Amino acid sequence: MPSIASRGVSRRAFVKAAVAIGGAAALAACQTRESPDLPTGPDSLERLPDRQHAWNDVLARDDHGNVLVPRHRVLLLLEYDGSGTPTGPERETVEAALSGLESAYPRSNEGLLVTVSYSRAYFDRFEAALPESVDLPAPAAMAPFEDPAFDTPDAVVHLASDYGSVVLGAEETLRGERDALNGVAVEDSLSEVFSVADRRTGFVGAGLPADNQDVAGVPEGDHVPEESPMYMGFKSGFEKNQASEDFVTIGDGPFAGGTTQHLSLLRLHLDQWYEQDSRYHRVATMFCPAHAEEGAVDGVGENLGDTSEMTERGCPAHTTEDAHEHGVVGHSQKSARARAEDSPLMIRRDFDSTDDERATLHFLSLQETIADFRETREAMNGVDVAADTPVGQRQNNGILQYLSVERRGNYLLPPRRHRALPTPRPVEVSA
Amino acid sequence: MTGSGRGRRGGADRSRLRRRAFLGVAGAALAGATAGCGMLEQQSVGTPAVLADRPDRVYVPSHVEGMEMAGMAKTGRYRFALSYSYPHRFWNVDGDRTEKVAVQDGDGVHLMLTAWDAETGRVLPASNQRVTVSQGGETVVDRSLWRMISQNMGVHFGDNVPLAGEGTYDVTVAFGPVGETLTGALAGALGERVTASLSFEFSQATLQSISIEDLGYRSGRNGAVEPMQMEMMPVAGTPAAADLPGDHLGTVESGDVVLVATALSRPPAGVEGTGPYLAVSPRTRYNGYPLPGMSLSATVPGAEGPVFDDYLGAALGSDLGYHYGTVLEGLQDAGEVTLSPGLTPQLARHEGYETAFFGLPARTISL
Repeated sequence: MPSIASRGVSRRAFVKAAVAIGGAAALAACQTRESPDLPTGPDSLERLPDRQHAWNDVLARDDHGNVLVPRHRVLLLLEYDGSGTPTGPERETVEAALSGLESAYPRSNEGLLVTVSYSRAYFDRFEAALPESVDLPAPAAMAPFEDPAFDTPDAVVHLASDYGSVVLGAEETLRGERDALNGVAVEDSLSEVFSVADRRTGFVGAGLPADNQDVAGVPEGDHVPEESPMYMGFKSGFEKNQASEDFVTIGDGPFAGGTTQHLSLLRLHLDQWYEQDSRYHRVATMFCPAHAEEGAVDGVGENLGDTSEMTERGCPAHTTEDAHEHGVVGHSQKSARARAEDSPLMIRRDFDSTDDERATLHFLSLQETIADFRETREAMNGVDVAADTPVGQRQNNGILQYLSVERRGNYLLPPRRHRALPTPRPVEVSA
Repeated sequence: MTGSGRGRRGGADRSRLRRRAFLGVAGAALAGATAGCGMLEQQSVGTPAVLADRPDRVYVPSHVEGMEMAGMAKTGRYRFALSYSYPHRFWNVDGDRTEKVAVQDGDGVHLMLTAWDAETGRVLPASNQRVTVSQGGETVVDRSLWRMISQNMGVHFGDNVPLAGEGTYDVTVAFGPVGETLTGALAGALGERVTASLSFEFSQATLQSISIEDLGYRSGRNGAVEPMQMEMMPVAGTPAAADLPGDHLGTVESGDVVLVATALSRPPAGVEGTGPYLAVSPRTRYNGYPLPGMSLSATVPGAEGPVFDDYLGAALGSDLGYHYGTVLEGLQDAGEVTLSPGLTPQLARHEGYETAFFGLPARTISL
């Protein structure tokens, strides 16, 4: 087992390391370091929201009103062990395991947030097809210049908390390694139904990327600013550049109240970003040339408040013009072209990682349909910009040069009432 | 994959990397400038400083380096050559800004990738690519190289990378699809993303055997080092004006960019539309290298306002080479066409090109 000796390591780096390693010893070490004193979850789970993805109301916000997403994450990619389709008792086991976590911790950033989602491959186990109100295609390459492998586990569990020990404890409980969590008995585990096909971990929030920048993909030295929530050195997830939870929620059909989730694994290549590129280039490619020209971004972008100032500075509308006049277009600028009803199409709940000892981004987004993801991603690809302007396919084309997509997967994040091994046509249980 | 063949620098192979001569101010070939002649060679000692007073033109750099072929690979019609030299400064370009990229402590070599189409020999100067280099399973380089231009290598992909330890390196190149419009015999080709692999042995002794030549008093004068001549790989060039298909409309100079315009009676294969096709082939003065990544627009006046006033699209043709073109109805009746280079080529620049091609004036060709 890798050593996570605590000497000389900051608490933040230590907790991140424990989450990355996982297991009982890591949990014990992490609890000692964090020692969170948390109440248990609600006595009655009936008042929990039906939307699994309804996180924003229970997350902290910064001074500008931006949601602060939970700092520590674990993703478990699960394979259903049974043959054929799940049984009623298996559903009860899964529901009991998930309910156990909810009883153990408050549903908040300090407590625990958990979602479970299901892939197209899972639903293909059934004879019936998903209703038309659910757009869940199998994963596909999203750009001519990428060649990802596709994740097709049956399910993905997403665990999130500001405390690494909470995430780890929840994981150990789901795996059946513990039968109590935060003093609450949890007798059922997912291990009775699923095997873990892959485990991905990570972190997001000021301080964590800086503490964990000694990883392949980030050049040596203290390049990542202490204030930055992400490896690339800038804030993201500005309130006004995210869709609302209402917007991404499926409105009709048996999965009304759910959403779709895209999860991709991106590697970061930041040697050039930090060692060769100018501040001008970083701001222009992350945000927009106008931001670079006007010096609109201080530090990691704290001065921007609750908006990346895309429409305010006319960035999306001037994408092609900027490409011709400045030779560069911004990531946010391109992405902001994908809108509907005056709203972005997605909510980003992505986070960075040192999985495989490489600087990694687990890009997790929520949107009503996978088509919304594709539209946003295609806007971000800027293939149209590269075709007609001096901007390259990846070079000077937002931040494409610094990312490579290794894996992609699409999932349905059902409403809580159908979260346990749903059929494609779940029958409503009358209240 | 074929050809992990590595071109050794030195001995009999040295002639493969023969560099002919320099185009001096007066066009005089410079004695002793042939690679293999030791007179002006040094063995990787200090690099001369950037010149204090650089002209805003293509100029003879302070020094010139040879290169070592690491290996070659092919997949389908794609051909790749990987080579390296000493790590050295270059300049990145953002719009009209240049940013000097200094050598970092960890940089071991300047790694270069040249890609071309096997059937036409056309160098692919600006497509998506990513190079991964590993040693013993440990990745040491994983990045997209910059598209860049140097006086002796022409248009290629390159960067300074941390590759220093001796031994065997395994390289994977992911390349394509080619982003430009492809015309002529290239139409419909190179539309896929491919990967190719090669391995090479690296030693400091080999690196140190690469020539580096101080250009002394010639440095800073208008002119350019001549292209390397290599049997193993092409250097991106442009067709002579007389060799371009169609009617040669004219050749004009804008700064150190030479703009050669030709008119085809109909669009080449790969371009949709009907009517004449205007192709403009910008190339560097002296060496005639293509210039990808620039913004070039054309204006054709008419009696009732412009017949055409728009950007030209980047394209790579089997016969036209790298060019910017458009279908232009009415070109046959036009009295003149004005070419406006709006944005300097967005290419990283090796020394001698970093001050050139900025502020390029519009030029009008009378037809």
